[in-house]
Amino acid sequence: MTSSASLIIAMLEGAGKAYGAHRVLDGIDFTLESGAVTALLGPNGAGKSTFAGLLTGRLRANSGRVSLFGRDPSDRLARARMGVMLQAGGLPETLTVAEAVDLHAGYFARRQPTPAVLEQAGLTALAGRRCDRLSGGETRKVQFALAICGSPDLLVLDEPTTGFDPDARRAMWDVVRAKADSGAAVLLATHHMDEAEALADRIVVIADGRIIADGPPAAIKAEVAATAIRLRTRLAGELFHALPGVVRADTVGADLSLLTIAPRLTLEAAFALDPALAHFEVAGASLEDALANLVNTNRTTALKEAA
Amino acid sequence: MMTATLIAPAPAVYARESWAEIVKSARMPQFIIPTIALPPAFYALFALAMGQGSAEAATRTLATFGVFAVMGPALFGFGANIAAERESGQLELKRLSPMPAGAQIAAKVAATAVFSMVAFALLYALGIVAGVRLAASQWVMLVGVHTLAILPFALIGLGIGYRLGQKGAIAVVNIVFLAMAVLGGLWMPIAVLPEAMQAIAWALPSYHLGEMALMAVGQREAANLWLHAGPLALITLAAALFAWSGERRQAR
Repeated sequence: MTSSASLIIAMLEGAGKAYGAHRVLDGIDFTLESGAVTALLGPNGAGKSTFAGLLTGRLRANSGRVSLFGRDPSDRLARARMGVMLQAGGLPETLTVAEAVDLHAGYFARRQPTPAVLEQAGLTALAGRRCDRLSGGETRKVQFALAICGSPDLLVLDEPTTGFDPDARRAMWDVVRAKADSGAAVLLATHHMDEAEALADRIVVIADGRIIADGPPAAIKAEVAATAIRLRTRLAGELFHALPGVVRADTVGADLSLLTIAPRLTLEAAFALDPALAHFEVAGASLEDALANLVNTNRTTALKEAA
Repeated sequence: MMTATLIAPAPAVYARESWAEIVKSARMPQFIIPTIALPPAFYALFALAMGQGSAEAATRTLATFGVFAVMGPALFGFGANIAAERESGQLELKRLSPMPAGAQIAAKVAATAVFSMVAFALLYALGIVAGVRLAASQWVMLVGVHTLAILPFALIGLGIGYRLGQKGAIAVVNIVFLAMAVLGGLWMPIAVLPEAMQAIAWALPSYHLGEMALMAVGQREAANLWLHAGPLALITLAAALFAWSGERRQAR
């Protein structure tokens, strides 16, 4: 997408995954191209990890077709070009960080030297530390190192920055961005909106096993074109939910957060309802609001269709 | 893109994976020492302390305890271990890499072999102290049978580890361990068991290996070799299928 020379890395055609009668993903059509970061967003249990699982060949689709580098995802020639960071994942407890990276890198012909991998993952100082003596965030860094050590053309990251401090997150984002800029395709499953906003060239929203939105971050935001109003009131939140233009009302701490498609009307009505309104602020909806609204709308529509 | 530029040469991967497996276990002494030390400790008790200096009894016990010595590292070391690695997601990550599937199994077998051989060395040393005297050719055959025992037990351990969680694997491995030792006649001849239980021995690799080890030291009629080598080959093949299908079932 970033250049005319982008290549198709992975393709899902009508792909679905079900466990018995429970359909986790249904009829997914998706193409992943090189040189861009694609964020996979959606509520917990929406099917993000399953989506990544189908694409990487970790899970087999029950329906449709999945191809990776033009091959079956379980083909070793496809796997040789992919680096994966799973959501959960232990490490060989008694090996050192450098040994664990070196072992994994050895599977790839295009491996990077271990010191270079450790440097990029911010692990140089921990090279000699045993893996069972790492913190949660440090463990994630090693898993990231395992994902990048084979110079992959496709990097799949499932909730990569869990347990990170802000500096470590930004450092990892920089590396991920650099990988995409040098031509790799990155698929990032996350539920941190700021992560998607900071990194993604494209956002795919999954809810209830389907893709409900797909586009650049700005387009996803514009799709709802909503305004967020935050205010403090002593009245019940439901009263505000009924105001003109309001599509969502949530209690956030002591505040009430309204998402509206008609901010002026909403504000006028809100003051009429409670003249003692305090602490209010108005802002363009964040990506998080947009996402919540999208998912909600999708559910409501689905319910209406089902009724 | 050419195959050769994408996939690392297999022999190097096999070697590195095996080395890592040995290092991993060697750094867990609290875990590996009991599995290695138990058979020599039992042997010292049975053959040295209670054997009243009978070289014949010491030789018989050495033959069967060599088979017993493989079972600890194979079943506990690598059966229970692989279950833990599977639960923690480590195997999943390896499966998503271009690592050849066989490298995992080969590495586990190699590590079982190394730790079994430490146990053999301890046993043989104790045997010599207890008065075991064998011809060079008998030692060669005995070491051969004991080494051969590594394969079926490592494969059985793997098959269990691929199927069960860590806790379940440890429970099952304990039962298999005891059944193989007792019903296979490794601790005492199966002749002392009820006849119905003696029949079970024919399905156990421990029984056939124990008998073959006794042939190696001249305590059984070597003419009966195929009576045990045949069933052992079949059992080993079944164990290989058990391990391989366990590995295959990781794909969902």
